[in-house]
Amino acid sequence: MAEVRPPARRLKLRPWLRALHRDLGYLAVGLTMVYAISGLAVNHIADWDPSFQNFEREFDVAAPLPDDDAEAAAIVMAAAGITEEPVDIYRVSDEEIEIAFERSRLHANPQTGRVYEEGASPRAFLRVANWLHLNRGKKAWTWFADGYAIALVVLASTGLLMIPGRKGLMGRGAVLALLGAAAPLGYLWWFGGP
Amino acid sequence: MTHPDLDKSIARREFFLRAAAGTVVTAMSGGLYVLSGGEAHAEGRSDGRPRVPPGQRVIEALKPMGGEPGDPALSAYRLRVHGDVERPFELGFAELVALGAVEQSLDVHCVTGWSLLGATWKGVRVKDLAAKAGIRDSARHVIFEAAHGYTANVRRDMALGDDVMVSWEIDGRRLARAHGAPVRALVPDLYFWKSAKWLTGIRFVRRDEPGFWETRGYHNHADPWKEERYG
Repeated sequence: MAEVRPPARRLKLRPWLRALHRDLGYLAVGLTMVYAISGLAVNHIADWDPSFQNFEREFDVAAPLPDDDAEAAAIVMAAAGITEEPVDIYRVSDEEIEIAFERSRLHANPQTGRVYEEGASPRAFLRVANWLHLNRGKKAWTWFADGYAIALVVLASTGLLMIPGRKGLMGRGAVLALLGAAAPLGYLWWFGGP
Repeated sequence: MTHPDLDKSIARREFFLRAAAGTVVTAMSGGLYVLSGGEAHAEGRSDGRPRVPPGQRVIEALKPMGGEPGDPALSAYRLRVHGDVERPFELGFAELVALGAVEQSLDVHCVTGWSLLGATWKGVRVKDLAAKAGIRDSARHVIFEAAHGYTANVRRDMALGDDVMVSWEIDGRRLARAHGAPVRALVPDLYFWKSAKWLTGIRFVRRDEPGFWETRGYHNHADPWKEERYG
């Protein structure tokens, strides 16, 4: 009687790919939101300031202002409704005193009492997201960003391979992947490279 | 008679078609918006070049383009003029203003594609600062030095042009901090990244030293009319 041999065990790769893709996807979702939203914001930097809201206004105070810089600054700040401690008070000339704060400045003309205020206030989420995206902090964030970039490569690779058959690389998967790759190639062909 | 699988497939196809149509309409609207700002493109300059360089659109106000501002304390501000010169010097802000400012109506062009035309800039010409420092014949390039180590390199012949300045005022108002206050360089005929914001120094050198953006893939010369955007 012939010996019955158990069927050879095949390594089932796809369940592992799916599991890796799923878990990396969960891990990457937070950073993907940060990078994607910040990417949209920074991409249009020519149209707006993605990190700050800039403001300016003009108003008048009673003139002439006192010769003492601190007294003059106190009057201007009171009129502007600013209680923040100034970083600097500087008399540029007989026609200008500048009162600087961390994110704004008052330019007062002591002769006329005309005051010009300009400054910027950080956008709540975008300021931080852009700071991370542009890696302004350097240091350890470079490692996180590198890790995220590698995770995206793994996500893309496992995404390509995890579905079998017509919906995978044997069918629509291949068509969509080629379409995706064609977009940058087509752009380079049409508009020229660097 | 309905077939559930077929209905599901049609519904899904309809969803994708609508999503695609929505994307195309949104993209086209954006394209139309960009194309609509095309005034002043036909005007010419005295040198025969068009007033608006190719690939630029005209905007109405200066755009903040990011970067790391310098120290906000004006009393701590120093502008250092040094390098290949006979008499290097440093100036505080009030001393710089007291040198005697000029006002010029100038156009500026950002590499991201916008141009601001005809703003009135107030400041001191770089060529006057160079003369005060006694620039040597051997100096062939000018390095604009700014806060946090930013630099931009400009050829001597460009940097000593009549319209190249260090500026602290635009259209009668002091520069906002986002635009480089207290003092920025202004090199109108090169892409705007050459006009270093938060300027702290002007260094004259014999050999060229590509700056912050030039070492990151941007063009070393940056002529907007030749679209010298990338190196």
